[in-house]
Amino acid sequence: MGTINSAMSMIGGALDADQEALSVVANNVANANTTGYTEETPNWQENAPITIGGIQVGDGVTETGATSQRDRVLEERLDQQQQTAAASTTRLAALNNVQTLFTPDSGSSSATAGDIGSGITSFFDSFSSLESDPTDNALREQVLSSASTLAGDISSAANSLNQQSAALNQDAAGIAGQVNSLTGAIAQLNLEIESTSPDSDAGTLEDQRQQDLSQLSQLVGINQVTTENNGLSITTTSGQLLVSEGQNFQLTTGTVNGATDFFLGGTDITSGLAAGGGQLGGYLTARDQDIPNVLNSLDELAYNISTAVNMQNNAGVDLNGATGTVADPLIIFNQPTQVAGSAAAMTVVMTDPSQIAAASTGNGTGDNSNAVALAALANQAIVVGQTPVNYYSNFVSTLGSTVSEVQAENTAQNASVTQLQTQNNALSSVNLNDEAAAMSTLETSYQAASQVFTLLNTLMASALNLGEQTTVA
Amino acid sequence: MRVDPTYITSLVGSLDQAQANEQQLSTELSSGVSITSLSQNPVGAGENVRLLSQIQQDDSFTQSASMVTGQLQVADSALGSVVTQLTQAISLATSANNGTMDASDVQSVGNQISGILNEVQSLANTNYQGQYIFGGGETGAEPFSTSSATSPGVTSYSGGETVNNLVLPSGQTIQLNVPGDQVFLGSGANGGSGSVFGALNALVADYASGTVDTQQAVTDTEALSSALNYVSQQRVTIDNSITQLNAASSAASSEQEQLTTAQTNLMQADLPTISTQLSLAETQQTALEDVIAQLESVSNSLFSKLQAG
Repeated sequence: MGTINSAMSMIGGALDADQEALSVVANNVANANTTGYTEETPNWQENAPITIGGIQVGDGVTETGATSQRDRVLEERLDQQQQTAAASTTRLAALNNVQTLFTPDSGSSSATAGDIGSGITSFFDSFSSLESDPTDNALREQVLSSASTLAGDISSAANSLNQQSAALNQDAAGIAGQVNSLTGAIAQLNLEIESTSPDSDAGTLEDQRQQDLSQLSQLVGINQVTTENNGLSITTTSGQLLVSEGQNFQLTTGTVNGATDFFLGGTDITSGLAAGGGQLGGYLTARDQDIPNVLNSLDELAYNISTAVNMQNNAGVDLNGATGTVADPLIIFNQPTQVAGSAAAMTVVMTDPSQIAAASTGNGTGDNSNAVALAALANQAIVVGQTPVNYYSNFVSTLGSTVSEVQAENTAQNASVTQLQTQNNALSSVNLNDEAAAMSTLETSYQAASQVFTLLNTLMASALNLGEQTTVA
Repeated sequence: MRVDPTYITSLVGSLDQAQANEQQLSTELSSGVSITSLSQNPVGAGENVRLLSQIQQDDSFTQSASMVTGQLQVADSALGSVVTQLTQAISLATSANNGTMDASDVQSVGNQISGILNEVQSLANTNYQGQYIFGGGETGAEPFSTSSATSPGVTSYSGGETVNNLVLPSGQTIQLNVPGDQVFLGSGANGGSGSVFGALNALVADYASGTVDTQQAVTDTEALSSALNYVSQQRVTIDNSITQLNAASSAASSEQEQLTTAQTNLMQADLPTISTQLSLAETQQTALEDVIAQLESVSNSLFSKLQAG
């Protein structure tokens, strides 16, 4: 049988519980704008009933703390999507810088020409003009000046690419330090979480760890594995251990072939990181794949034009009737020895326009047949099976397509991140309307409990005084 | 159902996107260029390179063609003068051969023909901008010289045999010159059939003494006539080149115009479309700003409705 005493104790417990629940709501409202904070809901627990004289009587309520509103699967998906999106955002920025070097030329006459495509055409056109009067010095000067323009356009593009690559290298190297400080923080949080709440959500500690994971995901591609006692192991996407519960492994950098490589425990994991995602993945993809591809195309262009033109010029007779020798060949461009690096090194070495060999051997210096042959190179497949202009045209199309593809990928990935973020916010963000409603409910419930307590108090006084209006009120 | 309470953030994201869109459209509008970066239209950018290259080729060819036309016209006019001179020589020789002239008249004809020989030689040594146009590949020195050490005198050719060609954008070739020995020395050396200088030198020798070996002189006069025909034939080659060159040059100009139109269509911003897009983007921006302002101004939380106490 229940007593007034037990009723009073029950209602006292209810007042305590309401107060605790109100403080959870207050904490939610206080942290409404805290990055990484996860909304908490109070836990209510019905006290075990007591059986007195064969009758079961309820024993009130207890507030047993608060639970963070968290969906680990959703958070991990969000992290993964952020890694992919961060990689493509970084790569896109790098590619946008690359493509500004090859801005389409909108001019429609040779006077406004300023890009490599026009440079190639002007150069070979200068040999066509030379056909009309192979002995004319002005036309010969024109050949050398258009050769200088072409070589200058190609080499300055290649040098800019090398500078961009060096800048990306520096940016990438800077990420290692940030990764190390984050993995260190996560290892420390692992230890605290394992000791304070091995079997349940660790609340704010968990929020902090999640916040660090989210930041780490922006930087580098990772996999997360939950271990016993609520700990966490983190590996790179390619499987190298970064954090094992309470221990983190330092990502170190070293220079290999002039570029910064990344090491974990002495193993070079650069290629794994490049494919893994995060900003680092984006930097490394741009540095090790995109820029080298573009440079290689320019190298092929420079190498093959230089080689073909030099060879054809050397096969003819110059205005002085001289032919090239092994020791002193009649060449216009510096002769590259290998494809790699040809673009950056492309220059015009011929200084005397009379050395342009417009005539073929044995035909007299008024002959133009070698100039015809030099001009004809423009229409021959001298660059990797294509004419020089077609090769350049395909090159800009390919580069444009790559940038456009990455742009589309990036847009889709960002949309996906936004969607996951919305889902996660719907679950975990503090919703002030919900808090107001909870506040209102708890207020009512607290007021009700207070009323019940007052009433019980009166009842108790009546019982103590046995109906007499005396001392106890 | 729970909703994302930070929806204003995503609205601001949309606002940023609308503004970026406006910026891009304004750039296109102000520059008048629709493809400002390769990724905007990769295929168009590649096409643009090829179109510009063809336009440049046509432009450059048109310029070369006008230079070459000058040279061909000089050659044509020189050969025209040669024809006139030779016609005169034939008429002089014919009058000397009819047996009515006395010795001094015959000698005077001989002197006149000798003068014509010199004139034709100087025409054969015509230069254009310092280059001897009938010298084949050897354009640096006069190709023809006459020695009077023997009788008849001998005119010899020191030029080359090279024929220069100009390659058209279409890949066809146009002959730019005729080596001098082909024009003036006929099919053989001095004295071969069709040789202008052979016939002239022979006639000079025929009339030098004042007594005419009529049979020989008539033969030599006939040789000069056939040489004249031969020169006329060679002149046709030059005329053909001029005609071809003019045709090719105007074809290149009209192709250049067409390509320029195509290139302009490819690269030029479509102003009405862009203006419309810009206006739409502006409307969207205004709408988004209004929505955000509305949401910010009405207190969007239940807290504002809670009564204190």
